[in-house]
Amino acid sequence: MGGRIPTRGSRRGQRARGQRARGQRAGGGGQRARGAEGPGAEVAGPAPRGTGAGRARRSRGGGTQEGLGGGELGVEEPATAAVARAMSARNLGTELDLSWISKIQVNQPAVLRRAEQIQARRMVKKEWQAAWLLKAVTFIDLTTLSGDDTSSNVQRLCYKAKYPIREDLLKALNVHDKGLTTAAVCVYPARVCDAVKALKAAGSTIPVASVATGFPAGQTHLKTRLEEIRLAVEDGATEIDVVINRTLVLTGQWEALYDEIRQFRKACGEAHLKTILATGELGSLTNVYKASMIAMMAGSDFIKTSTGKETVNATFPVAIVMLRAIRDFFWKTGNKIGFKPAGGIRSAKDSLAWLSLIKEELGDEWLTPELFRIGASTLLSDIERQIYHHVTGRYAAYHDLPMS
Amino acid sequence: MAATHAQRSTREIFTTLEYGPVPESHACALAWLDTQDRHLGHYVNGKWLKPEHRNSVPCRDPITGENLASCPQAQAEDVAAAVEAARTAWENWSGLPGASRAQYLTRLAKMIQKHQRLLWTLESLVTGRAVREVRDRDIPLAQQLLQWHAVQAYTQEETLAGWEPMGVIGLILSPTFSFLEMMWRICPALAVGCTVVVLVPPGSPTPLLLAQLAGELGSFPGILNVINGPASLGPILASQPGVQKVTFCGAVEGGLRLLIQESVWDETMRRLQERMARLRGGRGLDGAVDMGARGAAAHDLAQRYVREAQSQGAQVFQAGDVPSVSPFFPPTLVSDLPPASPCTQAEVPWPVVVASPFRTAKEALAVANGTPRGGSASVWSERLGQALELGYGLRVGTVWINAHGLRHPEVPTGGCKESGSSWHGGPDGLYEYLRPSGTPARLPSLSENLNYDTFGLAVPLTLPSGPEIGPSPAAPYGLFIGGRFQAPGARSSRCIQDSKGNLQAYVAEGGAKDIRGAVEAAHQAAPGWVSQPPGARASLLWALASALERRESAFTSALERHGVELKTAKVEVELSARRLRAWGARAQAQGHLLQVAELRGPVLRLREPLGVLAIVCPDEWPLLAFASLLAAALAHGNAVVLVPSGVCPIPALEVCQDMATLLPAGLVNVVTGDRDHLTRCLALHQDVQALWYFGSAQGSQFVEWASAGNLKPVWVNRGRPRAWDQEAQGAGPELGLRAARTKALWLPMGD
Repeated sequence: MGGRIPTRGSRRGQRARGQRARGQRAGGGGQRARGAEGPGAEVAGPAPRGTGAGRARRSRGGGTQEGLGGGELGVEEPATAAVARAMSARNLGTELDLSWISKIQVNQPAVLRRAEQIQARRMVKKEWQAAWLLKAVTFIDLTTLSGDDTSSNVQRLCYKAKYPIREDLLKALNVHDKGLTTAAVCVYPARVCDAVKALKAAGSTIPVASVATGFPAGQTHLKTRLEEIRLAVEDGATEIDVVINRTLVLTGQWEALYDEIRQFRKACGEAHLKTILATGELGSLTNVYKASMIAMMAGSDFIKTSTGKETVNATFPVAIVMLRAIRDFFWKTGNKIGFKPAGGIRSAKDSLAWLSLIKEELGDEWLTPELFRIGASTLLSDIERQIYHHVTGRYAAYHDLPMS
Repeated sequence: MAATHAQRSTREIFTTLEYGPVPESHACALAWLDTQDRHLGHYVNGKWLKPEHRNSVPCRDPITGENLASCPQAQAEDVAAAVEAARTAWENWSGLPGASRAQYLTRLAKMIQKHQRLLWTLESLVTGRAVREVRDRDIPLAQQLLQWHAVQAYTQEETLAGWEPMGVIGLILSPTFSFLEMMWRICPALAVGCTVVVLVPPGSPTPLLLAQLAGELGSFPGILNVINGPASLGPILASQPGVQKVTFCGAVEGGLRLLIQESVWDETMRRLQERMARLRGGRGLDGAVDMGARGAAAHDLAQRYVREAQSQGAQVFQAGDVPSVSPFFPPTLVSDLPPASPCTQAEVPWPVVVASPFRTAKEALAVANGTPRGGSASVWSERLGQALELGYGLRVGTVWINAHGLRHPEVPTGGCKESGSSWHGGPDGLYEYLRPSGTPARLPSLSENLNYDTFGLAVPLTLPSGPEIGPSPAAPYGLFIGGRFQAPGARSSRCIQDSKGNLQAYVAEGGAKDIRGAVEAAHQAAPGWVSQPPGARASLLWALASALERRESAFTSALERHGVELKTAKVEVELSARRLRAWGARAQAQGHLLQVAELRGPVLRLREPLGVLAIVCPDEWPLLAFASLLAAALAHGNAVVLVPSGVCPIPALEVCQDMATLLPAGLVNVVTGDRDHLTRCLALHQDVQALWYFGSAQGSQFVEWASAGNLKPVWVNRGRPRAWDQEAQGAGPELGLRAARTKALWLPMGD
C-alpha cells in the first residue's frame, strides 16, 4: 500500500478523489465485525470497520491510529482480527484508467518459453526442500468445494488447517513453535457458519474464505451475486473469493467489469476481496492481463487464477501474465496485490515450483500469506507425506498420516 | 550464492526462504575417466589410441582447477593414422545403402539415450556450463539430430539422387565449443556417407566419449575418429590424402548486442535489470543455476571488456546471485557506450550484453547490418508486420521473431559475412557434405609454388599485334559498367585473336579501378533487383533469351571465328537462351515452409541473394558458360560482376548490348582484361559478397586464400573443366545452391 495508506489526517483530502470504499469505511464506528452476529451487515455492504483494519494499516506504516483497539485483540477475537494479521491492508483501488490496458499485447510464445524454463531451473533439495514445503503449507487456502460438503467434513478440514503437519514431524525439524497453520480455509457460502464455528471451537484465528458471486460460473443476476457476498460476510467470512463475469471480458466491456468488481468490493466491506479471473475461459493471455489489471484497479486484494472448476486451471503461463500485471500495478501505484493460483495444484513438487515462480517474478516480499495463497485441497497431504519422508527417510503408509 | 552455502537448518531456511545447493553428482563422469586411468588418448578406428612420448595437456575442472585427466597431444603421425582409418572406413560406409546408415544412426541415438547422465555430467564438469542446459537442451537435441539425419539417410537414394558423399571430412573444434556443435556437423556428414576425423582442443573429453559410444556399436569402426591436439594441426589434417573438406566450428554463443527503441528504452531497461537481478550463477553442476562459468580465461576476457567499456564512458549494471570470485562473472548490462568507442566495434564476450538505443526500425536495421557478423538475431516486437520486415531485412543466417536461441535439426543454421557461410541442419546441411556425382575428388596437395603476394599482380602490357585483317567485326569496345560501355581506366586494350591467329578485335583492358567501379555499380543496382518479385526477374530473363535468339546469327558467327563448328555454335546459342529461360522459371519457386515439432508456428526457409556476386567465367563455352552462370545468379536476385572468357570475350560483350537496353543499369557488369589480375582484384575486394571462379588450379587456390579476408563464399573449379552443355553440370541444382543463401525465419505463433 505504501504511500496510499490513509490516515485520519489525510482522509478528507482523499475522499475528494472519489474513492467510494474508503468513504464508507470512515463511517464505521468502533464496532467490530463479529462473525455471524455482526450487526446490520447486510446493508450497503461493509460490516462497519473496526480495529482489524486499523492494525493492519499501522503495521504497514500508517501513522496516526496507534492505540486504537490494539490491546483488544484477544484469543476469542473473531476471524477479522486474524485476517488483519494475516493479510495486508485493503487495496483501495484506483480510478479506472484504460490506458493501462489498451496498449497491452501479451507475447504468448515468449510467455510459454519462460514458463517452461522456470519449472526446470529452480529446484530445492533436502533441508531447503523441507523448509520450502513447510512454508508452502502456510500459503494454502485449504479448500473444500463439493456438493456433498457437510458440517462434519468442514469441521475435519478446519482441524487439519489448524494442525496441518503431524506435531512430531514439526518437532523433528525444530519448527513446532512456529504456529504453523494453513493460511485460510475456503468453503461455499452455506458452509461458512460451520467453518467459523469449527475454527472457533479449535481456538484458531485462521480466516474463513468463502467463494461467492454465483461461483463457479458467475452466471446469476448481479443483485443475487452481491447479496451472496453480504451474506457470507455476515456469516463470518473474512475473505471473499468472487468470480468475475467472463462475458464482460470476452466482449471487452472493461468499464462494466470495473464497476461490477467495484460493487463486489463495496459489498465485501472489511472482508478481503479475492477476484477469480477464471483464466481458462478468457480466451487469450492478453485478456488475462487486462482482466487482472481491471480487477486490481477496482480494488481486489488478490487476483486468483481459476475456480478449479474450469477445464484449464492454474497454469504457469497464465500465472506469469498475472504476476507481471501485479508487478506493473505495483510499479504504477506502489500497491502490492496478492496472487492466488488455484486448481490442479496437487503435488508437493508443484507447490515448490509455484513458490519459486513467485520468488523469481515478484521477489521474496510476496512470499507471505498476505500476498500469496495456494488454493488446494489434496496438496497438503502430499506435502505432509514429503515431510514425513524427509524426517524419517521412509515413505509414509496411507495410515501413517491423519486424513484431512 | 549457490557455491557458498554453509549448513543451514530447516528452521532458518523457513524464515529466509533462500535457494540451496542442488548438486548433481558427477561420480559417473569421474568413474568413466577412471576407466581410462585418467589418461585420455585419441579414439581412432574404434579403439583407444594412446601413443607414447606425447606432450600431455591436463584436462581441468574450469571452476575448481582440479586436474581431471591428462590428454596427450596428437602429432602428425596420429593425424595420419586417424585419416587413414577414416579413409578405410569410408570405402565401406559410403557404399552402404542409406537404410543401413539410418539404422546405425538410430542405434547411436539410443546409445546416447542410455548413457545420457554420463554425457551431461561429463560435459558440464569439463566445460563449466550449467548442467540443466546440457541435460534439458543439448542431450535431447543431439538425439533428435541423429534421428532426423537417420531419416535423411534412409531416403537419400531418392531425394539426393545425383549427389555422392565427399569422402573424409576433417572437423576442427575451437577451444570453447559445446559437443552439440560437433553433433550438428558430424550427423549430416555420417548420414550422407562421409566419415569424420575430429580434431578437438586438448582437454575436451566429451567428443572422445561420443566416439567411444559410436565405436562400441561395433559395426563400423573408423567412421568417427577423435584426436586431441592444438588447432595448429589443422593444416596437417587438411593436407592428408583423402581429406575432402575441412570445416571449422566456432565458439559457443558469446555476449549479445541489444538494440532498444528509444520510446521504450527506460521501461525495457528496468525490466531487463529486474530480470537480471534474479539470475543465479554458480557451479555448472548445480541443478538450480542459470549460468555456470566458462573458466578463468572467459572471466578475464569479460572483466577486461567491462573495464574498458567503463573507461570509455559506458554505464555498467551488474546483478544476479553469482559468486564474486573468478571464474564466476555476473551477468552484465553495458549501456551508453559511445558509438565510436572501440568497445562498440569489438566482439562482446559472454556474459555481457551491450544495449544501445535506436530511433526507427530503419536505423536499427542499418546498425544491425553494419557489423561484420551475421550469425543470428532475434526481433522482439508486438507488431508482426514490423517484426517481419526486420526479419527479412537482417543480413544473418537465423532470425527468431519474439523468441531466441531455438534450434531444430530440420531448420538450417548458418550465417553470412564473417560468421561463415556453411550450413548445419536441414537440407542445406546435407549438401555441405555432398558433391554432384561424377565430380572428381579434391586433391589434397596445394601448390607451394603459388606466391599469393604476386599472383595476378602485374598488369600485362598490350602492344599492337599484327595487322587488322578484313572487315572489322565491330564488336563493342569498352567495359560494360553501370549499364553502358565505358573506357577502361588504364586506357589500353588487348587484342583478341581468332582461331587462325589473326587479330579479331580489341577489347578493353580492365584493372583495379574498373573493378571498383563495377562493384559500386552492382551495389547500387542490387537493392532494386532484390525487391523485384521473382516473376519480374523471370520475365526479364526471358526477354534476354529472346534477344539472344533474335541475334542468333551474330553469335554463331562470333563463335565460328573461334573455330567452333556452325552446328555446335548454333547449339550453344540455343542452349544459352534455354538456360536463361529455365532459370527464370526456377526463380519463381524458392524457399519453403518448415514445420518444427516443438514450435507452434512455422519456420520459413528463405533463399536470399548473396548480394554482389563476382563470376570469373571459364575460357571454354564462351557464350553458354557465361549465360548459364549469369542466369542462375540473376534468377536468385544477385547483382553481378563478370569476367568473361579470356580467349573469346566477344559473345559476352555482344550480350551486353542487349542487356544495356533490357536490364536495370549496373545489375550486370562485364569487365574484360587479364583474368589473373581481375581475379586478384575481385578476391581482395571486401565488398564482393561471393566469388565464383572457373579457371586455373592456381587461380582457384589464390581465390580460396584471398577470400578468407571477409570469408566470402567461394566456388572454384580447381582447374577442371565442366561440361557446360550437360544439364547436370551446366544447370544442375549445384548452381542454384551456390547462387543464394538460406535464412531461417522462426515465427512462433499464439495469442
